[in-house]
Amino acid sequence: MSGSEAPRASAVTVRQEDVRRLCDFLYRRTGMLFAEDKRYYIDRRLEERIAATGAESFQAYFALLRSDADHEIQYLVNAFTVNETYFYREEHQLRCMTSDLLDDIVQRKPVGETIRIWSVPCATGEEPYSICMWLMENFSRVDSYNIEIVGSDIDTRALKAAAEGVYGKRALMRLPQGLVDRYFEKDGPDKYRIDAGLRNSVTFTAVNLVDSQGMAQHRDFDIVFCRNVLIYFDDASRRLAAENLYDCIQPGGYICLGHSETMSRISPLFNVCRYPDAIVYRKPVREHD
Amino acid sequence: MPFVKSNAPANTGPARRDMGADVAHLQSGDLETRWNAARALGGCAEAVPALAAALAAEHAPQVREALATALLRVGNEASVAALIPHIRSPDAALRAIAIEALQALPDATRPFMQRLLADDDMDVRILALELLRGMPAAEATRLACGVLEREQHPNVCAAAIDVLAETGTPVAVPVLRACASRFAGTPFIPFAVSAAIARISAES
Amino acid sequence: MTDAATRHSAPRILVVDDSSLVRLYYRDALEPAGFEVDQAINGIEALEKVLAKPFDLIIVDINMPRMDGFSFLRVLRAQASDASSIPVVVISTEAGPQDIEDARAAGANYYLVKPVSETALRDHAAVLAGRAA
Repeated sequence: MSGSEAPRASAVTVRQEDVRRLCDFLYRRTGMLFAEDKRYYIDRRLEERIAATGAESFQAYFALLRSDADHEIQYLVNAFTVNETYFYREEHQLRCMTSDLLDDIVQRKPVGETIRIWSVPCATGEEPYSICMWLMENFSRVDSYNIEIVGSDIDTRALKAAAEGVYGKRALMRLPQGLVDRYFEKDGPDKYRIDAGLRNSVTFTAVNLVDSQGMAQHRDFDIVFCRNVLIYFDDASRRLAAENLYDCIQPGGYICLGHSETMSRISPLFNVCRYPDAIVYRKPVREHD
Repeated sequence: MPFVKSNAPANTGPARRDMGADVAHLQSGDLETRWNAARALGGCAEAVPALAAALAAEHAPQVREALATALLRVGNEASVAALIPHIRSPDAALRAIAIEALQALPDATRPFMQRLLADDDMDVRILALELLRGMPAAEATRLACGVLEREQHPNVCAAAIDVLAETGTPVAVPVLRACASRFAGTPFIPFAVSAAIARISAES
Repeated sequence: MTDAATRHSAPRILVVDDSSLVRLYYRDALEPAGFEVDQAINGIEALEKVLAKPFDLIIVDINMPRMDGFSFLRVLRAQASDASSIPVVVISTEAGPQDIEDARAAGANYYLVKPVSETALRDHAAVLAGRAA
């Protein structure tokens, strides 16, 4: 093949106005803004999804997207965002945790009490283990409190892998060598295992965010990380999951969403809090009647 | 290490709840009790009248939210009928809650759409048009065009045009043009029609 | 109000309305007049944006899902930061004296009735958000 583009798999025409329509819809639905200067990138991804779904026109594809048939919104958005999981992903939220959130939490918690932090969904465990490492490295009062870290997911295979705690080098790419040396041991070619102390520090549970009963067994969390899942739920599930999470959080406790997510598309239950490193959401300290 | 394992309580199975008790608790003076009761009654069709009455009387935003979710989880015509009166409320926050819940129920709201789109209250017509976004393009187009053809009030037309910008099919174009003519020289409508037609039209 | 020494180059306006065409209309009216325009579709997103960067003016609709304009205004005015004193124009479909009084009580500075002309928008922006181009 010459240096020119590969022949297009589909002959579907997409006009610039179609892309505007799509972007308006995505912005309304997810809060993600795709500016005019990112147009080429969107064109390519849209073309991929039209081909992948076999849609015969932009209109047919857009109808699919609007109805979110087969989770098409998630497929389309995942095509735009980097969705790899690795340690210390969204470090700014971890920084916010130790710079701001924990200061507030410990003010209301006597020394020696338990601080509870939840990572849900936790997938293969990078997030809860990252929280542990970050606290060890950055929380000055880490030895003054009992800290409970829970990692939960609907996917039991992912949970099993999380409990095993074995990762490839790519997952460690954001970690300084000192941390790798301190918290991992080499377990084979391209295999790094989280040290036993840390593995034993996290409780892994299976949970479904829309299952109120299962969720009710997770209580009194001070901080919840719930990233990159709520925005993909349908309307009813988003509301229910948000209410379930609300019940799992202590009054005055915090919830952090994914980088491109916003409570404005999810639920009005939480208050918006702005800190230098992140926007987070807070359960009211006291509900006023 | 300072980390402790969680004492995750054993799974004791679904909690047995007494619907009658929960319904009574919807009237409790304690906010948390009302919240828990509303949550427990989610999806409970027999509780719709009680949930509806509670929503009409409730002032706490969180409990209102839980009541609306409980009704939406029932998702039948009775629950839609319970939510609809609140889109007329003088309380903007309650209107927002009601319309948000109704937007999640396009199938159950369908039988009510004609009436809502022809309501005497302009704001009800505007909010009802929002509900068309959850419907298939052909149906949304037909209903929005129906409004545009007879509507006098520019703000209602504006809402219909916005819906058509998102979901309109080419059959809407002549109706949109006629609307722009009717409102020629007024702010916004001609602009909105032009933008909507650009989104819909087969030619760039 | 933002101190002149710390002001960014163009006055910044936040437009809050759940209609994409209305937001587009406001942007088309205000950007050529030299304003930087950002958007939000409801009160919660508006709060997030207001807390993230400074604005010179907020134009907000009342009827929005999930958090209406009045609720947003009350939360805005209760903020501890500079955000609490940003001028706000409320735009609504209503025009009665009670609605206007409600807006004032919630903390609005001005009240306009939809549909708003481009000229009225620019005039209010010029007065409330500083110099136009």
